[in-house]
Amino acid sequence: MATGPPGGETPTLTNVVEYPYTRTTGPVLGPFLTGLRDGRILGGRCGGRVLCPPLEYDPGTAAPLPFDPVEVGPGGTVASWTWVAEPTRHHPFAHPFAFALILLDGADTPLPHAVDAGAPERMSTGRRVRARFRDERRGAITDLYFVPEEDAAPRRVEPGGEPVTITEHLISLEYREPLHPHRARFVQGLLEGRVIGQRSPVSGRVYVPGRGYDQLERVPMTEADDVPVADRGTVGSFTRITPVRYYGQKETEPYIRASILLDGSDAPITGVDVRTVPAGEFRVGMRLRAVWRPPGERDVSGFDNRAVGGWEGVFERWEPTGEPDADPRDLREHAW
Amino acid sequence: MVNGPGREIAVVATARTAVHESFEGPEAVLVMECVNDLLGRTGLDRRDVDFTIAGSCDYLAGAPFAFVLNLDGVGAWPPVYESHVEMDGAWAFHEAWLRLQCGDVDTALVIGSGRSSPGRPREVLALQTDPYTMAPLGLDPVSLAGLQARALIDAGKATERDLAEVAARARPGSGAGELLRAPYWSAPLRRHDVARPADGAAAVLLAAGDRARRLTGDPVWVRGVDQRIESHHLGLRDLTDSPSARLAAEGAGAHDGPLDVAELMALHSHEEIILRAALGLAGTTVVNPSGGALRSHPAMATGLVRVIEVARRIAAGEAERGLAHASSGPCLQHNLVAVLEGDR
Repeated sequence: MATGPPGGETPTLTNVVEYPYTRTTGPVLGPFLTGLRDGRILGGRCGGRVLCPPLEYDPGTAAPLPFDPVEVGPGGTVASWTWVAEPTRHHPFAHPFAFALILLDGADTPLPHAVDAGAPERMSTGRRVRARFRDERRGAITDLYFVPEEDAAPRRVEPGGEPVTITEHLISLEYREPLHPHRARFVQGLLEGRVIGQRSPVSGRVYVPGRGYDQLERVPMTEADDVPVADRGTVGSFTRITPVRYYGQKETEPYIRASILLDGSDAPITGVDVRTVPAGEFRVGMRLRAVWRPPGERDVSGFDNRAVGGWEGVFERWEPTGEPDADPRDLREHAW
Repeated sequence: MVNGPGREIAVVATARTAVHESFEGPEAVLVMECVNDLLGRTGLDRRDVDFTIAGSCDYLAGAPFAFVLNLDGVGAWPPVYESHVEMDGAWAFHEAWLRLQCGDVDTALVIGSGRSSPGRPREVLALQTDPYTMAPLGLDPVSLAGLQARALIDAGKATERDLAEVAARARPGSGAGELLRAPYWSAPLRRHDVARPADGAAAVLLAAGDRARRLTGDPVWVRGVDQRIESHHLGLRDLTDSPSARLAAEGAGAHDGPLDVAELMALHSHEEIILRAALGLAGTTVVNPSGGALRSHPAMATGLVRVIEVARRIAAGEAERGLAHASSGPCLQHNLVAVLEGDR
């Protein structure tokens, strides 16, 4: 998504990659997470040791390990720690805190977790800490955190509910970057009513939009290689899309998605949605011209550093020019 | 593992881009710069390269199939025989070396590239951890490194001054005493103890046997490569040691002869101390003459750059035999070692 003032500084793109991962928990982590929901920490016996978190396999031999649960904690000893001076938005606390390896009472392997200690002076290797369960618990490792033992107050945790068999984890990553220089020039051109391509200094082929390089000849392309191309061209390929319902789907009516070889270019623009030409009349070789939106109404937010799905933001519609069709055989090199 | 008397494989040319805090163009441009450099150096046509393999990480730039677009830098036509690893280019290097051992291809192009600048690598790489017991806590590589550094200090195997001395060697003009006065970031680590991810690319051209000798007068032979991995559960590991690095070095034949130089991919100061011990480096081995990953960290190329740094020193006659190390995952979870040797 491109944001920022046209003609001013290079627009900055903000892109959020987000996905709610839903995972089954299985025969060991299921009871472990159910325990956390119910205010208990479970380890698993492995030979003479107790592992926490428990595992489905023997880490020494990789042999299957039947779950033999043992309640551990809620107290424990810090085996190592670090003070997180600048938490990220994915951390359990927005204020500085400690991550620690905590050897829970009754366990033989330390568990990495967060300690809300207030200040680094209150953390040390060997110090005693104690689990504090959150009021809202959903069967996740984040259902609890640790505090210095002297801060712990007895608190009743109500167990209950069905065993935890599914866990959800929302992944959300934010990316910010400027538009690449060639993309910024391309987008600025659209705002000004011009379609700008790039002509390869080696082959002379014109690409729309340019990529900042010629991927066939492996040479960089700069502003000196920018060339205007027409806002009319020939249908190189198309498909008719009947929308199906999915999360985020906005389309309800069938439409055409086409590739159009603009006059003066050697590679078609793709992802062009056409709604104003009846599907029965649409064909490869057909000549079309773009009708621009008025200058103040052009939206280039659909063009980021990669996507070219934003044509409808700048073109109101496409209409037949009335010219004779091009010979489809001449378009074979340009079909996409 | 194909170590021992296999096919002779050599690094015949290397290339790398400048390391950018924030590169303004596509990653493919970085790749293209390296590929063109390699082809220019060797006089090879793109069609002469039998096998291409790249290491990169789509999550760094937040763009699905970014690795496919990177192939624009190799050349989009005619089609190439190629592979990809979602890892540092050092792991692509290992796969290429194994692929060449098969005998039916003679040349391989290996690329590592990354653009870390759009995202927040600390948050991105936190997703490498166990999805049930670690990732929901946001346990990131810097915090996990802090736990490891503390464990090392608690065990008496290093001091904060030792860490500062490692960091100071990566920063010419700085001294350990001065660095020790900086505030903690992820205590006991300070900002200068943590490599700063940047944008860049690197590439090497590998060739087998006589083909290598025809392509360069200074082939650098890759005598062995091995990689080993440890548990993703920190509680199951001795964080003050790196048995996987030790095994990888043994598997690669690191100790079959003296090592003049070693380039270690230590992304945190204390990791160099752990690696020196685990790899059994003698006092005569010059470690990280380049300044290492703490000086320059083009993520996903940093490991391959270790190979390049060693290869260039051997090709220049500054060293006869060297070790290149790469790591992946938090707290040196996964380690790769390559042993390179000059043409005696």
